[in-house]
Amino acid sequence: MREGPSSPRPISGGSVREAELPAVVARGATAGPAESPFVLGVRRLRKSTTALIGAGIVAVLIVVALFADVLAPQSPITSDQTRTFQSPSWASPLGTDQLGRDMLSRVIHGTRISLLVGVSSVLLALFIGVPFGMIAGYYGGRIDTVVMRTMDLILAFPIYLLAIILMVIFSPTAGLIGTMKVTGAIAIVRIPIYARLVRGSVLSIKEKEYIEACRALGVRDPWILFRHVLPNCLAPIIVTTTLGIATSIIVEATLSFLGLGTQPPTPSWGWDLKANVAFIQSNLWLSLFPGLAIFITVLGFNLFGDGLRDALDPRLK
Amino acid sequence: MRVYILKRLIQIVPTVLGITLVVFLMMQSIPGDPVVSLLGEAYTEEGAAQVRQEYGLDKPVLVQYFVWLGKLLQGDWGRSILSGRPVLKDVLIRLPVTLELIVLSMAVALAIALPAAIIGALRQNTWADYAATTVAMIGVSIPEFFIGVLLLLVFSFGLGGVLPSSGWVYLPGTCPTIVCSAGLWGNVHHILMPAFALGVGRAAILTRLLRSSMLEVIRTEYVTTARAKGLGDRAVVFKHALKNALIPTVTVMGLQVGFLIGGAIVVETLFAMPGLGTFGIDAIIGRDYQQVQGFALITAIAFVVMNLLVDLTYTFLDPRIRYA
Repeated sequence: MREGPSSPRPISGGSVREAELPAVVARGATAGPAESPFVLGVRRLRKSTTALIGAGIVAVLIVVALFADVLAPQSPITSDQTRTFQSPSWASPLGTDQLGRDMLSRVIHGTRISLLVGVSSVLLALFIGVPFGMIAGYYGGRIDTVVMRTMDLILAFPIYLLAIILMVIFSPTAGLIGTMKVTGAIAIVRIPIYARLVRGSVLSIKEKEYIEACRALGVRDPWILFRHVLPNCLAPIIVTTTLGIATSIIVEATLSFLGLGTQPPTPSWGWDLKANVAFIQSNLWLSLFPGLAIFITVLGFNLFGDGLRDALDPRLK
Repeated sequence: MRVYILKRLIQIVPTVLGITLVVFLMMQSIPGDPVVSLLGEAYTEEGAAQVRQEYGLDKPVLVQYFVWLGKLLQGDWGRSILSGRPVLKDVLIRLPVTLELIVLSMAVALAIALPAAIIGALRQNTWADYAATTVAMIGVSIPEFFIGVLLLLVFSFGLGGVLPSSGWVYLPGTCPTIVCSAGLWGNVHHILMPAFALGVGRAAILTRLLRSSMLEVIRTEYVTTARAKGLGDRAVVFKHALKNALIPTVTVMGLQVGFLIGGAIVVETLFAMPGLGTFGIDAIIGRDYQQVQGFALITAIAFVVMNLLVDLTYTFLDPRIRYA
């Protein structure tokens, strides 16, 4: 690709987007009312096959999670001692586990825990991290030092060490409360990521003329921050959030695998995989399906996040 | 340079103090009492008080921390509450296992990622590139323990037990007791699957990063110049492009250390390896304060040392980067 002096930086990793980026910008500049970056982003997103596949996987998973009660053929919790370790059949397409529970139903219901923890932990980290990052970046000085050193302290921990200790402190339980505990532990570990990201963006945005103009007009700080600063650092936040969901789902599965996630009988993929590894020799499908479910879910969010990154902010890596 | 390394080594102190103090305070807030589990059915008020006094658990938390710290300076890492064994001894027995796992998994990661990324970048948008990026995408989406389970399925059960599913054979010379098995061949047998399980994910991340930074570097003018001189692909890549492309990759690998430690815990648990990962998780779940402190300490040191190594790697990759 030959670079003109005015063309944007080479876009690494992207392939489809490279040729069309300058053209799209040119179109936006010449034809009628300028399109918002959001509209441009959506248009680019729709041309990316991988992003669409990712979005499709995510959409299917959301439907499965929402309608798990309808879709699951049997209860994921009720055990039946007469039907333990059954091979896949019409009655139980993925077989049954050592308590005679239908694996398909457990995998379907596991979608709920996985998505719930993945999405809500990232949102929680976002809602705490973003305001802290904005305040630290915007006001600077002592506030910045206090906030960012606290974040550095969390970041100084190897992420799993902190998450594991937090889960032991929260003492893992079953059901919704147990799910909330896992969500909280993962969110705490991930807050600094958003605080740092937003602080960096705010540092450069707050020096822009339009922010100065706002201040000169007497606009109050909270309004400036939420109406003018935040929208301009949204692109990296959205991308990091989508890819962050994938990471959070892996962390949740890992905690469950170590026995520190949502406790049984609540169906959780990581736990099911671990519990069935013991029977891997005789019933290999049992640990295969929860693992595949984790893999497909994470893949969906990764594909979608990659596509989003290329569409919203091609310079991000 | 020496001064810089020395400075950085001194910086280990506050980080290690911070991490161990926070872990100490967090462990104290864990519900449950190790003394109760230690005494079990023999639990009496007096007995518990005696044990608490013996281990200094009756003192205020901060005092306990400074007592621990004072002993640490004398080389005493404390004794496990549950087993009574010296913590340092256990850590030193288990350290080689985890080190071997991490070093070999990084070797696996590099052995896969370097060729995949270079071919992907040089032959961008060909089937080889698509294959490399697709496999890398799949690799970043599989958790370590699932790769481990798949490996178990194929090599331990599918192929009739080519590789052992659990247990450990020590490297010759690292055997901690008289009754453990040691041997190079057996060790290789036991480490192969864990190293792959941990390495494949890293390989995928490395491939993606290295491919995109290679793509950026091979479009720079100095690479064009090198090609214009008539240099072949091999010379351009290995003498000119690769080193610069590796810089952002090394940065991210440094950030991955936290995940690597988590990965070691998971992989060691899955393959029942007697390493630091299983030591740490058992200690945390058993609320064995002294062992947890030892684990936090060795993890913190590893964390800081790895980050130092990352920074030193920059000077090797780009001689313009100097630390005064």
